[in-house]
Amino acid sequence: MNGDLFRALTGFVPYLVPEMILGAAACVLFLGGTLRANRHLWGSVALAALFAAGLVLMLRPLPHYGTLQAAQTVRYAAPVVFDSLALLLRAFSIVGGIILVLFCWNAAPEKRAADYHACLLLMVVGMGLSGAANELVTLFLALELTSIPTYLILYLGKGRSSSPSSETRGGGEDGGLDAPAQEAAMKYFFLSVFSSALTLFGSSYLYGLAGTTNLPGLAEAFRRASQAGAPEEWAAVSPLLGLSMAALVMVVAGLGFRLTVFPFHFYAPDVYQGTTTANAAVLAFVPKVAGFAALVRVLGFVLPTLSPQEAFTAPLALPILSEHLPVLLWIMAAVTMTVGNVLGLLQDNLRRLLAYSSVAHAGYMLIGLAVAPRLLSAPDALVDGVDAVFFYLAAYGAMTLGAFAVLEYLGTSGQPAETIDDLAGLSRTRPGMALLMVLFLFSLIGIPATAGFMGKFLLFAGALDVPANIEVAASLEQRKLFIALAVLAAINAAIGAWYYLRIAAGMYLREPPPGISAAVKRERSWPVLAAVWLCAVLTLGIGVRPAPLLQAVQTAVPHGAETAPGGHQPAQEPPG
Amino acid sequence: MPQLLLLLLALPLATALLVALLGPGRTLAVRWVSLFSALASLLLATVISISFAIARTWEAPAVDITKGTLTFDSDWIKYKTRENLLPLHTTADGTVDSAIQFYVGIDGLNIWLILLTAVLMLTCVLVSWTAITQRVHEFHAWLFVLQLGMTGVFASFDVILFYVFFELTLVPLFFVIGIWGGPQRQYAARKFFIYTLAGSLLTLLGVIGLVLVLPQVEADHDPGQSHQLTFAIPELIARVGTLNRELFQEVKQLEQAPADMEANLQQARAQLNYWRHVQLWVFVAMMCGFAVKVPMVPLHTWLPLAHVEAPTAGSVLLAGILLKLGTYGFLRLSVPLAPDASLRFGVPVLGTLAVVGIIYGAFCSLGQDDIKKLVAYSSVSHLGLCMLGLFALNEVGLTGSLLQMINHGLSTGALFLLVGMLYERYHTRKMADYGGMGARLHLLAVFMVFITLSSIGLPGLNGFLGELLALAGMYDFAGSQVQGSLLAGLGASGVVLGAWYMLTMVRQVFCGPLKEPPHQGHEPITDLNGRELAALLPIAGLCLALGIFPKPFFDTVRPEIQVVARIAEAARKRAEKDAFGHELQTSTIHRFARNGLSLAAKGGERK
Repeated sequence: MNGDLFRALTGFVPYLVPEMILGAAACVLFLGGTLRANRHLWGSVALAALFAAGLVLMLRPLPHYGTLQAAQTVRYAAPVVFDSLALLLRAFSIVGGIILVLFCWNAAPEKRAADYHACLLLMVVGMGLSGAANELVTLFLALELTSIPTYLILYLGKGRSSSPSSETRGGGEDGGLDAPAQEAAMKYFFLSVFSSALTLFGSSYLYGLAGTTNLPGLAEAFRRASQAGAPEEWAAVSPLLGLSMAALVMVVAGLGFRLTVFPFHFYAPDVYQGTTTANAAVLAFVPKVAGFAALVRVLGFVLPTLSPQEAFTAPLALPILSEHLPVLLWIMAAVTMTVGNVLGLLQDNLRRLLAYSSVAHAGYMLIGLAVAPRLLSAPDALVDGVDAVFFYLAAYGAMTLGAFAVLEYLGTSGQPAETIDDLAGLSRTRPGMALLMVLFLFSLIGIPATAGFMGKFLLFAGALDVPANIEVAASLEQRKLFIALAVLAAINAAIGAWYYLRIAAGMYLREPPPGISAAVKRERSWPVLAAVWLCAVLTLGIGVRPAPLLQAVQTAVPHGAETAPGGHQPAQEPPG
Repeated sequence: MPQLLLLLLALPLATALLVALLGPGRTLAVRWVSLFSALASLLLATVISISFAIARTWEAPAVDITKGTLTFDSDWIKYKTRENLLPLHTTADGTVDSAIQFYVGIDGLNIWLILLTAVLMLTCVLVSWTAITQRVHEFHAWLFVLQLGMTGVFASFDVILFYVFFELTLVPLFFVIGIWGGPQRQYAARKFFIYTLAGSLLTLLGVIGLVLVLPQVEADHDPGQSHQLTFAIPELIARVGTLNRELFQEVKQLEQAPADMEANLQQARAQLNYWRHVQLWVFVAMMCGFAVKVPMVPLHTWLPLAHVEAPTAGSVLLAGILLKLGTYGFLRLSVPLAPDASLRFGVPVLGTLAVVGIIYGAFCSLGQDDIKKLVAYSSVSHLGLCMLGLFALNEVGLTGSLLQMINHGLSTGALFLLVGMLYERYHTRKMADYGGMGARLHLLAVFMVFITLSSIGLPGLNGFLGELLALAGMYDFAGSQVQGSLLAGLGASGVVLGAWYMLTMVRQVFCGPLKEPPHQGHEPITDLNGRELAALLPIAGLCLALGIFPKPFFDTVRPEIQVVARIAEAARKRAEKDAFGHELQTSTIHRFARNGLSLAAKGGERK
């Protein structure tokens, strides 16, 4: 037993090597940046570190535990666990990191490029760890590991050049931030700290109630409490459960800030507009991945399943949660997507528009979590909500980063890309970029053969798949609620299409302003271009061949029927 | 030989890529490549359809029509390809038992529409030869993507694949209207896109909902079996049909049973009622997308705008093919997948809306001064007739409706072509600017008169049979949901009005004293040239052929039409025997249908 415990507390270290590589590389960058200022050098180092981390992750993907006992000990004792969900999220964050490093190649002034890339690497570590965290403290640390570098990059980025002319770009590199950028950085900093405090506050209640910070332990404790049989026992327990609800609301609120969920979304448009395109892209991607990973872990949607012999534990074993949580998430999803889409209609600034778009997409993703408590325990459900969320997260990452990357590429090559009007006639001046942008936009709309369509399809399927017992009126009512959510999402998707189409229409249906082609400097930034293409390939690839990703996601999220004893199979490598 | 159909799908895609890669410089090469590709498509489609028609008509007329199948038998589907696209569930031994499939094929319902697509594509390439002078390669690339989407919708036998192609048609048409359209093109393109997208997203929900709920209901009804998801249309139809029949029979049997089975009866009724509600909502959801596309009247406002703004090729494809996606969706999906809801809800609501559309569209046409707008509104009217025949839900009406889809594609496509040719010469579409053009442009006038006659249904040309059958079908409507004769009578007035506005247009533009619009600056006005003749002749020929010798058409479509008719007939019989259906009839949506909309509903239920 002691040996098991010892192994549980130390055994994860070899599997942390990818994170260690990235952390070490970050240190090298921070130090090296003081010696030499060369964006190409430090960018390549960061890329190399990411590839190395990815390689190590591929070589040692999942730990194996000899006995069921050992697996159980790890589950209830280890600060981080490496189950298949953690693997998926770490893979996500490394791929996302590669795109971001390429994307942000020119984002910082030459002198600070090393610091910028180091921050990105730390964020990648944070994203991966928030997927692997097995207790509240580790989770909080992981989340902060994504947040704190974000504050830095908001200050590190180039001052947003209000005019695209080359003088300001060349000469103003060292000049401080302009007022909107400062406002953005401050706003983000204070609100982010506030949200972290909320999360901590909620976590402290959870710890106080359950006496443990271990996440499976928490779920177990709440399950036992809510199963208290005798009425007199129940009387003692129920206020505690009420308190746990309050605690969870705090945690959800704190995480909601990262997900830009209504009503914690309002910073996003200002911050995205105020800061640079690269920073906005980082903010649209990194906190969302970390936030959804944390939400899924804290709320106990997915408990680590570490050993093939382990019987499937129905996750979210907390009746009070599965009663009330969907209601909370339902409301958040409905309001978030509607607010995001309706306000998106009014925007002219591209980054602001994409900010509202990212709010709307967070709303779509919440649908998956809202229906998950009903689906995870249904044996023959087509999807189980959580897997749809992670699928959508991948799709969202590819298409949103792609759209931002196009703007960044245009920006670095001298074409202003601030407002929709700036993109007028882009199909004439830059046919390739316009076509790629259209691909990302149509994916955001959810047109078939793109990643966005498959994501929406799975979310809709989840919402429509909620099983109902036709003899129980309440269950039918709930079913109707979820169908209503799907209909609302469909209407929202149509509303959202309007503002994405405005961009597409601007690029294709309008003539370029006179003299624009002369002003455009034909300077190419290959790394940014590579990021654009990588996103495009992912967007199309996921859309046309969704099977490998879907399989990976479904393996990562254990499902009632799939994890029957002996039925748990490792993820198959996608062919090709 | 499934490869032929795959080739027909791959060819437009390859052409689109090739043309896009040719770039802006090589306009002539782009045009010739497009022309060859369109010709090759037409050849392929002709080979497929003729061999299919021959097989149906002569070699094996014995697709056993007495067998009484209630689904599109998958043996009837020729040129079939069926591959798993996205496996969703795998059994223990590793076989995939539910998957989204790439399932395409040819059957009686889609064969002629696919041929029509190929014919009109050739026409579009020809007519764009001089009309499109800017961004030529982009235009042709989008045009071929559009062809891929349209052919794909018709050929799909998997609901998700159907939806994928259905949505895929939006993107190219958005660009075709938006870039090469008239002055209001941006607004028109966006309005078109949003209307259709909003509708079709709800269609997607309906389709997914049906696919997902079906096994649940089956499992409630028959817990022993395992009930897998299926996305294949034939299987879905078969399973829906079985479920409809079994649930209904169970209720009927239990009603005869002794009183101690009361609990079972209640349960069976609850199941049946639940299933009918599901069907109703599935039907409503699917209707949202298809009714926008048709377009049914309150949702039609995008159509005249899009038509008027679109370039000629866009108008031709929009009128000729894209509107048919809506009616085809009703025929292929809505009616067979939700027969009871089609009968109880679809017939009164859509039948009434169809009549309203016929008359309203006709009067709108009558009031237009712009020839293109006139033709656009006439589409609303003609498609109303098509829907009227479809929701007669009997063999005659369905055949007429399908024929009317083809007819409308040919004649309205040709009308848009002719209007486009006129516009290219004089740069005006106002009727008041023209007069006596018959003396100036002989051939154009001949074609215009010919197509007009086909459009208004002169016996001997194609329009006559379609209109006759659609109206006769509705006259014959056997159910008690609407008064078929009344709807048919009102619908027939649309035919009269159609003759009125079309002939008024012909008289105004082509007869009387010559009055040419000012055309200084344009080249000397000449009659149709060879290219334009080549664009028009195939269409005119098909109009004549369909009018004189429609037998191959009827023979090829009969088995599938009979299946749909039989499914609807079974639903009608159930509705007649239904003693407790009033529960459904008085649900909100039916009250709405009855009181708010239906002019023709008789009210009260036959006991």
